[in-house]
Amino acid sequence: MEKHPKGKGVSRREFLKGLSGGAVGAAAVSTGLLNPGRADAYPRELVGSASEQSLVNLKVNGRRYRLEVDHRQTLAEVLRDQLGLTGTKIGCNRGECGACTVIINGRNHYSCSQLAIWLEGKDILTIEGLAQGGKLDPLQKAFIEHDGPQCGFCTSGQIMAGKALLLRNSSPTEAQVKRALSGNLCRCGNYNREVAAVLAAAKAR
Amino acid sequence: MARQFSVVGKRTTRIDAYERVTGQAKYTRDVQLPGMLYARVLRSPHPHARILSIDTSKAENLPGVRSVIHHKNAKVRWSSGSRTAKRFIFNNPVRYVGEPLAVVAATDPHIAEDALGLIEIKYEKLPYVLDAKEALKPGAPKVHPEGNVIPGRSRFAAPYEEEWGDLEQGFREADRTFEDTYITKHVNNAQLEPRVSVAKWEGGKLTVWASTQGISNCRRDIARELKLPMSKVRVICKYMGAGFGNKNQCQDLDLMAAVLAKVSGRPVTLEFTREDDFIGMHGRWASEQHYKVGVKKDGMITALEENSVTNMGAYRKSTGNLSGTGSYEVPNFEKVVTPVHTNTVVAANYRAPAGPQSVFGIASMLDQIAHELGINPLEMFLKNRIQLYDDEMPFSSNELEQCILQGAKKINWNERWHKPGATPGPKKHGIGMALGDFDFSLGLGSATIRVNRDGTAHVMVGVTDIGTGAKTTMAIIAAEALGLPLNQVQLTSGDTDVTPYSVGESGSRTTSYTGTAVIAAAEQVRKQIFQTAASQLKVKPEDLDLKDGLVFVKTDPSQNLPLKKALRRTRGFIGQATTNPRERMWDVAGKSFAAHFAEVEVDVLTGFTKVIRYVAAHDSGTIINRLSAESQVKGGVIQGIGMALTEELLIDRMTAIPLTPNYRDAKVPTHMEAPEVEVIFMDSFDPYGPFGAKVLGEFTIVPAVGAVANAIFNATGKRIKEIPITPDKILGSLLL
Repeated sequence: MEKHPKGKGVSRREFLKGLSGGAVGAAAVSTGLLNPGRADAYPRELVGSASEQSLVNLKVNGRRYRLEVDHRQTLAEVLRDQLGLTGTKIGCNRGECGACTVIINGRNHYSCSQLAIWLEGKDILTIEGLAQGGKLDPLQKAFIEHDGPQCGFCTSGQIMAGKALLLRNSSPTEAQVKRALSGNLCRCGNYNREVAAVLAAAKAR
Repeated sequence: MARQFSVVGKRTTRIDAYERVTGQAKYTRDVQLPGMLYARVLRSPHPHARILSIDTSKAENLPGVRSVIHHKNAKVRWSSGSRTAKRFIFNNPVRYVGEPLAVVAATDPHIAEDALGLIEIKYEKLPYVLDAKEALKPGAPKVHPEGNVIPGRSRFAAPYEEEWGDLEQGFREADRTFEDTYITKHVNNAQLEPRVSVAKWEGGKLTVWASTQGISNCRRDIARELKLPMSKVRVICKYMGAGFGNKNQCQDLDLMAAVLAKVSGRPVTLEFTREDDFIGMHGRWASEQHYKVGVKKDGMITALEENSVTNMGAYRKSTGNLSGTGSYEVPNFEKVVTPVHTNTVVAANYRAPAGPQSVFGIASMLDQIAHELGINPLEMFLKNRIQLYDDEMPFSSNELEQCILQGAKKINWNERWHKPGATPGPKKHGIGMALGDFDFSLGLGSATIRVNRDGTAHVMVGVTDIGTGAKTTMAIIAAEALGLPLNQVQLTSGDTDVTPYSVGESGSRTTSYTGTAVIAAAEQVRKQIFQTAASQLKVKPEDLDLKDGLVFVKTDPSQNLPLKKALRRTRGFIGQATTNPRERMWDVAGKSFAAHFAEVEVDVLTGFTKVIRYVAAHDSGTIINRLSAESQVKGGVIQGIGMALTEELLIDRMTAIPLTPNYRDAKVPTHMEAPEVEVIFMDSFDPYGPFGAKVLGEFTIVPAVGAVANAIFNATGKRIKEIPITPDKILGSLLL
């Protein structure tokens, strides 16, 4: 990625575009602090006016929604702020921690790194949609039995990453579980428990 | 040793696990209020600068921006942010890169972020110092007018000094004397939930949803700083996404959110970004530890002298002490630890704040001495383990010897240990160990228990469960003390308008402080129950007992009444207790102990270390809940492994800017680095703790760094004296 002259003015939208193109620039990532507070670093047209809105159709936990979203809103923000689905957590808001993991069309994704307007027609599953008719998913039960949550802030993401794995591989090995969850940080360090829970849920099927 | 319990000591799933696995648990940022504004913080790009002017007019003109606060219009003291020099929520001059300059509240978080770039500030750059040793030199730039070493009171003394015995005599008695220096770096707590606060005013009453480790101390601090009666401040924290020490007391953002809510007339949520959280708060203090140790030929310590410097950054939020020598029996001892100010990120409490970095130093030192004397490290640690506190006072309980022996047996030390560097490469095997301890005390706690006429109970405690399982622990203690099944106990916690005082969830004190009060409150309720039941069973109240929800005559359990029946003519009972049994421990010292054992594979071609096996043996007295206690140990160990191998907040020497303020660059452990951690608890019972329990959660990280470092030495035969022990250091050591 070429050097960005705007300092902090790298908008989320442009930044995510960069990400989706596969060009992750460490320079752009770390500019946040290098150059804050310099008003002349922010071209007027980039601030305050970026709130263009569009309609987007999403299927979330089996329900269809037609939503007006700000172009710079991420899926995580739309889920939490517009739909009230606050089970999806935002831990870093920069695609590193995995607390915001949801399942989009069967695969696990960081919802902080998906703009809502990219997701027209997509089928999204969040932690709130996992229990069916008041019955917990076997993976949720296993997380309870194996003490999966300590503080619980990463738990939704761990469970959704685990669920996505089990959807594509119903009897994973321990190494496969670790790899599948490796994008989900748990600072409480409860990794043993989370892996044990996914393996137990696979067995319980 | 262990007693028979009905509810205590089992493997109990958390009472709030359902909420946590379904996304129903409401954390602070999940609180959504009508009309709520979103706030963002502008931070200093300079390590030391005077603010000459601040112009917020452009930011205020941005549509959607409602309020901007800074040092000119919001002069609020933040006492818990600094125990020595005066600190405000906004300071001028600013003293580190990342110090808050202004906060903007807007109708949308993106607008607030945009507005930060429109604030114009003129600075006068001031000289700065980043290194603690440099800061001690005469003529070094002064972080505060008082200087770079500011003595506070008692725990906040500087330098911090401790001594006993006769050091010189101890060194004279020694056969050999060893001296060395160990270095540790600033690492971040990096809890998953960013720091966040939601504030709302209704009339003169302020409600703050805080992500705090202690609602009681948070309320006390907010009331003091904003000059409000405590009755006009309500702090709520129902679910909390961890903190590991950096969310205790009131934080600057709690005060900022409250001020913004006041001036804007709207509820305000102020959330730190991840970068804010890394640099705007604090991590563990870096240290340079110098040791001189005198030993007999057989390895017995005769004297230990420590002279260390800790880097506290710009403000002193915590002690800056180092505690690793506390696990050893030292007849002649002198320690001087000097906490120093620099123009860097603040350092303060991170899980056993003075522990693991200190254990890295002293456990490496002793491991090295064992090597040079030709003694097996197991023997070295075993013979020098602490037996008397400060070399004179007995412990309330001490199973450290058993921790060492059982841990060594479990990891098969005698067969797995070999001469350092002895196994063939390229993946060299190593095994290492270290000891750790943590103070156990009794203190002020409060609890209210209501027993309803249907035999169910409500327990009200001011705890906030930061991930330790404290809610479940309190419910288990209540169920055991009342004599009820756990599922008959409902727990209410985390709301200062409803729940009584509890110590902040720090220092692993909740179980012993508030747990003791829960037992006392339960006793009061039981008395009332027995009064009522006695007349029904036609016996004296003192003849009765209550277990599993059944009131019965002690001498003849066949004479009994279900609790529900016993209470049917009542309107239920309330028991309340405030306990402070501190003085009960006047003639004994309290500590929990642990011995940790790590096995590693060090790849001498890549320098990469993998922890392949880990055994943690703990004496924490009675384990109230074995399931969550094991999780605590496992988690502390994983954090310790990160600290030993990868984590460091790097600061650019030319600009003073932190280079690694995010998860990827801070290199916190992932699933891929986590070995299975095998946990053993000693069968112990402390006569002073509630149901025999001592302390656990916090100190599980303490021995981990030292154990891994010693295992690396055993693998390579090269001592690395600075953490994190990254591949470059390992490869470099192998070249020597």
